[in-house]
Amino acid sequence: MKGLTAPDVERRRRAMEPFVRATFDSFIRCLYRYLGNEVECEDVLEDVYADIWENPQRLRNVTTEKELLRTVYLYYMRKRLREVYRRMNRHLYLSQKDLTNLTAPELGVLETMSQTELEQALRRALGRLKARERRAIELWMEGMSSRAIANELKTTVGAVKMLKFRTMLKLKKMLSEYCHAG
Amino acid sequence: MLDTNRKIQELLIDYAGSLRDGCVPVFLKSLTRQEGRAIASSEEFWDAAEVVRVLNGVGFADKAATADVGLFTSRVDANIVSRLKKAKTSSRARRAAGPKSVTKTQKTDKPI
Repeated sequence: MKGLTAPDVERRRRAMEPFVRATFDSFIRCLYRYLGNEVECEDVLEDVYADIWENPQRLRNVTTEKELLRTVYLYYMRKRLREVYRRMNRHLYLSQKDLTNLTAPELGVLETMSQTELEQALRRALGRLKARERRAIELWMEGMSSRAIANELKTTVGAVKMLKFRTMLKLKKMLSEYCHAG
Repeated sequence: MLDTNRKIQELLIDYAGSLRDGCVPVFLKSLTRQEGRAIASSEEFWDAAEVVRVLNGVGFADKAATADVGLFTSRVDANIVSRLKKAKTSSRARRAAGPKSVTKTQKTDKPI
């Protein structure tokens, strides 16, 4: 981090490689939440790192890994995420504000948790769900469509959609409780 | 679109599906005016969307995290080098343009 905020551009450039190696995994996972596309994630992240090299001032006072991810998301990633969808906006029926909230939102309660914290919290929350609710989420995470899940659970597509929606809201409540308790 | 004016739960599931499959723009383009309004005014949608993103990060981000970091660092370095070059050429151009305008003003200044 020292070399990363140095005034000399060449020194900063040399410091980038170890920084990229150390942070790539967590940064790309963070971006994947919002893009869901590995190729696009790499393209955006490349610009994010170059932006950090060009203007690293925001990272000057960062001390922990969690703080680093938060700062990088708020000051570097969000700007780039907004750019991905900016050109689309004139063809959409969503206001600019809603589009930003959907594609590059402010960090919510859950999004401030670290990956390990989230995985633990999610495992606990999934354990507290009803068997049918848990199964629907698990099948969805395996990559199944709503129709395939409906076949598996022997119900209608509409019922599966409603079940998943209600379960997501339930998960949000449980995860928020876990977050506040933590 | 086949499905016009979807209900909020259907919109959420379609958003989740598009995020999982990496095609959010397709979902965004599929929205009708009414659906856009429904999303904007539904607090439940925004709450559930946060969970969808979290699930996407936990469940599917491994796909992205397995990329070749060595290759990626060279991409970042190339991006930095191109920005450095751009900065150098623009500052050179500024320097080249600068004195000209000064002499012009000096020339015009003299007669006055």
